[in-house]
Amino acid sequence: MMGKMQPAVHRYSLVTRLAHWVWVVAFLVLVSSGLAIFNAAPYLDASDRSDPARRVLSIDAPRDGVGTTTIFGRTFTTTGWLGWADDGMGGRTARAFPGWITIPGPYSLADGRRWHLFFGWIAAICWIAWVLSAALKGHLAQMLLHPRDLKKLWPMQAYYLKLREAPPPHGRYNPLQKAAYTVIGFVVAPLVVITGLALSPGVDATFPFLTAIFGGRQFARLWHFVGMGVLIGFVFVHVFQVLTQGFANQMRSMITGWYRPSPHERGEA
Amino acid sequence: MNRKLFVASTIGAALSACSPIGTALNGNQGFHDALGAAEGLDHLVIGTRGMAREYRDADIDAQFRVNGLDTPSDARYKDYAARHFASYRLLVDGAVARKHAFTLAQLQAVAQQTQITRHDCVEGWSAIGKWSGVRLGDVLDLVRPTADAKYAVFHCLDVDPTGAPYYESLDLRQARHPQTLLALRLNDRPLAPDHGAPVRLRVPTQLGYKSAKWVHHIEIVASMRSLYGGGGGYWEDQGYEWYAGI
Repeated sequence: MMGKMQPAVHRYSLVTRLAHWVWVVAFLVLVSSGLAIFNAAPYLDASDRSDPARRVLSIDAPRDGVGTTTIFGRTFTTTGWLGWADDGMGGRTARAFPGWITIPGPYSLADGRRWHLFFGWIAAICWIAWVLSAALKGHLAQMLLHPRDLKKLWPMQAYYLKLREAPPPHGRYNPLQKAAYTVIGFVVAPLVVITGLALSPGVDATFPFLTAIFGGRQFARLWHFVGMGVLIGFVFVHVFQVLTQGFANQMRSMITGWYRPSPHERGEA
Repeated sequence: MNRKLFVASTIGAALSACSPIGTALNGNQGFHDALGAAEGLDHLVIGTRGMAREYRDADIDAQFRVNGLDTPSDARYKDYAARHFASYRLLVDGAVARKHAFTLAQLQAVAQQTQITRHDCVEGWSAIGKWSGVRLGDVLDLVRPTADAKYAVFHCLDVDPTGAPYYESLDLRQARHPQTLLALRLNDRPLAPDHGAPVRLRVPTQLGYKSAKWVHHIEIVASMRSLYGGGGGYWEDQGYEWYAGI
């Protein structure tokens, strides 16, 4: 790190650290078991019922040995990766997402659902506990994007692009971090849970508006998948930042709680 | 930079271990059972409360998709079909005050209900059909379940390649849901053999595997433990949830 070292501060509470690592495990399981479930009907339609005329994505094996992925009517050969892929037992078969990425291992819709529905609860309960704890400690206020942060978004981006010497003054989190955490934690992640619920017949009967606002069951399934993509994108950026912004310091802070701020983080409480 | 590369490749290696770790944990009976705890929570939170959405005639799918076990091809079923199901009987017995074997004509004589509802398969696809038949609740009122009755078990005529018969079950609350039907018709025609002729269950508030086809015997019971695999259904015995609202 550049500049004079600052004294370490206790940045993350035990609840935050526990929640973080529970989410790491839950997210990995939810993505891999979700792909296992997707494999049972490897297509997504922008409609209520299944409708090939409104198909946005499909992953197929038109014949043995060939895998294809069709997005908005354009077909790509994806043999070995999607469509004709790892069967989880050393060979290949007609399989949308390969066996090495699905949990638990070789194809099982029943077990994929079992894992997915369990870890969905874990992630949701963990989110509620963390939000309550963070709100009580005043941590949420530091993390959520405030309207006055909006004019700092570009200066912060300019700093990252090396167009600016120093980042704009900010508190514990910089304005872009706040924007990312607010959108991901309080918009996208809840929407992924809600679209997951909305594609279920029992939820549709009990809370019909939920399925309706997303455009019906198949559409909710499509949004659920898109939401997963956004979350994966966030995780990639997040891990990249951790790798490039003082890996040891970042990892230590999320394990022990102690973080050594960089010079422009003097606003740290 | 080398350190970053090392860290990144370590993360990659850890990720690729996820699937095998998942497979190993899945094989642990205690862990596998613990995961099943979510089903009780789902049943509690979602339950069987509201009404499935009903559609208009224009929404009906021209071809209703056929899925599940093969259409029965044994002598008994062929005989039923050859005589237009005249010899078919739907036996309703078990924990009831008045057990009864219904002929198809008797079922047709009970007040008929029609619903245009979406069928949601556990695999992920959906199709819309127009179903007509008898409310299961009306049949239960005729046979009068006794005080200890908890579940309705549906015995079916289809068998899997190993010879295991299909069966399903609902608790009596789900069975008495106003949209739970013993369907006799699909899209204004008598059920075709592939759709479960002559009688199939229709449970629009749960996933498709609950809507058992080729039902010929309904057994009212206090417990399902002693029936087949004890899970309350053919797919349930293979690891699928008994509560299929989600």
